[in-house]
Amino acid sequence: MSTLVEVTDLRIHFPTSGGSETVKAVDGVSFTMRRGETFGVIGESGSGKSTLGRAVVCLLKPTAGTLKLEDTDPYTLGGAAFRRKRRDFQIVFQDPNAALNPRMRIRESVREPLDILGEGTRAERNARAVAVLERVGLSREFGERYPHELSGGQKQRVNIARILTLRPKLVVCDEVVAALDVSIQADILNLFADLQREFGLTYLFITHDLGVVSHISDRIAVMYLGKFVELADADAIAERPLHPYTEALLSAEPVPLPSHLRTDERVMLEGEIPSPISPPSGCRFRTRCRFAQDICSAQEPAWRELEPGRFVACHFAGDVTQKGRTK
Amino acid sequence: MTAANAATPLLDVRGLGIHFRTEAGEVQATRDVTFAVRPGERVGIVGESGCGKTVTGLSILGLLPRRSSRVAGQILFEGRDLLALSAREMRKVRGRQISMIFQEPMSALDPVFTIGHQIGETLRAHRGIAKKEARERAIEALAQVGIPLPARRVDEYPHQLSGGMRQRAMIAIALVCEPKLLIADEPTTALDVTIQAQIIDLLFDLSSRTGTALLFITHDLGVIAETCTRMLTMYAGEVVEDAPVDAALERPRHPYTSGLLRSIPRLSKRKTTLPSIPGRVPSLADMPAGCRFRPRCAHGAPECTATQTLVDVSDDRRARCIRQASLTLPGAVA
Repeated sequence: MSTLVEVTDLRIHFPTSGGSETVKAVDGVSFTMRRGETFGVIGESGSGKSTLGRAVVCLLKPTAGTLKLEDTDPYTLGGAAFRRKRRDFQIVFQDPNAALNPRMRIRESVREPLDILGEGTRAERNARAVAVLERVGLSREFGERYPHELSGGQKQRVNIARILTLRPKLVVCDEVVAALDVSIQADILNLFADLQREFGLTYLFITHDLGVVSHISDRIAVMYLGKFVELADADAIAERPLHPYTEALLSAEPVPLPSHLRTDERVMLEGEIPSPISPPSGCRFRTRCRFAQDICSAQEPAWRELEPGRFVACHFAGDVTQKGRTK
Repeated sequence: MTAANAATPLLDVRGLGIHFRTEAGEVQATRDVTFAVRPGERVGIVGESGCGKTVTGLSILGLLPRRSSRVAGQILFEGRDLLALSAREMRKVRGRQISMIFQEPMSALDPVFTIGHQIGETLRAHRGIAKKEARERAIEALAQVGIPLPARRVDEYPHQLSGGMRQRAMIAIALVCEPKLLIADEPTTALDVTIQAQIIDLLFDLSSRTGTALLFITHDLGVIAETCTRMLTMYAGEVVEDAPVDAALERPRHPYTSGLLRSIPRLSKRKTTLPSIPGRVPSLADMPAGCRFRPRCAHGAPECTATQTLVDVSDDRRARCIRQASLTLPGAVA
C-alpha cells in the first residue's frame, strides 16, 4: 500500500483570548496513512484529535511541521492547485444538523459541491446527486425534503452523500456516529465500511468511543494532550496495550457483558486531563500515571518503534505496563 | 435484602401514561409503564432517544409541564401516590425523599451562586438548619463525593469547576438530605470515559453505603451492566422487558433488547458487518397497532398484531412479547 498522507512533527497552536498564552492543541505528531486503510484516532476531549483531523484536510494551517498529501505539501501550491488538491481530502462532522443548510432541499445540499465545481449541466449534476443519495440508502423522494424532516441518522447519510459527489481519496470522520443511537450507529458504520470497499476510500476515523474505533480501524493512534502516546494495529491496541494511558482507557470503558464475563479490577485514573496551555513537563501523562518515576518529569519520553509497526512514547513501555496487567 | 422489604417496593409505578398536548393534538409519550424499585435497589432504564425514559423519570418528581402534559396511572412511593399530592406536599418529597441528577450539570446548577450555597439551600429547605452549619455540612458533602480541597471548592462558582467536578457537585446536592431514591438521567453521557468511570464508581459506592436506591436512565448498556442489578428496556413509550441485568444480557426475551445488544460494535468481530435494527422508531403520532416493535422485528407473526402486554417469563422477569417463550434470541454472548 502506498502512502497517502504523511505528517511530520505537526504542531498547531492557538493564542488564548487574551493573546498572552498559547494553547498547544497538537504538539508534535508524526504518522503516515496508507491508501485504503482506516486509521483510528482515539482520545478524550481536549486531546487535540479534532484539531488534527482539521489539519489533515487543510482547514487549519500547521504552526510548525509538515503535512504531505500524496507526496506534496499543499501549502507550497498556488490557489487553484491548492483547491484542486483539497477536493480529494474531505471531512464529515459530528453534528449532522450543523453541516446542512436548513433552507436548502436535501438534493440541493448534495448537489452544491458539484455546482461549485461547475461540472456538467445542472440536470447532470442533479442526476448525480440523486444517484449518490440512493447509494447511501436514501430514496429519490428524500432529495425533495428539508433537513428538519429527516432523522439524525438520515442527515448523517446526506452529509456522507455530499462528500461522495466529489469522489474523495480520504475522508476524515470526526465523531460521525457520536450523536446517533446505537442501532442507527451500526447502520452508519456498516455504510462507511461498504463505501470504503466500493470506492477504495481511506479514513481518518476520530472518536472517543473505543468500541467504535476498534471495530472499524486497521490501526489506532491514542492521543493525549496534543501528542500520540501509542500507535499500533487495532488488535494489538485492544489486546496488549503498551502505554499506561491506553490501558486505563480500555479499562474505563463500561462493558455490556454479564458480570461473570467482566473483570472487576479496573485501572482507575485519578484527576483530569491537564491544561494544554501549560502541559506537565516531561511525560504529559505522568500526573495521572500509576507508574510515574522521577525520570518521567525530567525527560520527555521519545516516540519510538518498540516492535515493528508498534510505536509508543513511554520510558517504561514493554516492562512495567506488562507487569501491571495481571492476567 | 430481607424478604420483608423485598415484598414492599420503595417505588411502585403502575400503568403510567404520559400525554402531551401539541398543536397537532394530544400524543401519548408513554403507555402502561409499570415497574417497581425496591429499597436500596439499582435499576437501569435503557432505550434510544424518544423511547420515553426521560419523561418517566421527570414524571416521578412531578417535573413535567403542568399546562401541556397529563399523567395517568399511579406512582406509589412508600405506598403514597405522588400524583395525588399537592404542589406543597410534593416539594417536601423532592430533594429529601427523591432526588434527581441530569446529563448536563452546568444547566442544572445556578451560575450565580457558589456550590456551597446550592448544597446548603437543600439543607435549609428540608432540614431548617442554620447557614453556618449548612456550610459545614456542604464541605462534608463535597468531601464525600471526592472533590479535592472541599473547604476551598465550597466557595467556588460552577464555572470554576470541570465537567466531572460539576457532576460530583450535583451528586453532592442530590444526596445531602440522604434521599431514599436517586434518579440519574444520563449522568455520565457528557463526560469523558475516564471521568465517567470515576462517576459510575462514585454512584455505586454511595448507593451501596447509604442504601439509596438508584434509578439509572441511560442509552448505554455498558453503564447499566456495571451499575445496576435489574434493567428495564423501553421502546416507543412502553417497557418491553424487565429483568435482572445478567439474565437480560445473556438471554434477552424481547427482540428489541436483543437487537440493541447485537448492534454494539464491541460485541461483534472486528471489521464485520454490524447487526442493525432495520427501520426507525415510529413517531408518537403514528404508533403501529399491536406490538409497537412489529414493523422492525425479524420474528413478527400474525399474533403480533394484537396489543401486547408484559407477560411473566419467570418470577423475576417479564417481557412484552407474545412469542417470547418460543424465541431463542442472541444476547451479549451469542
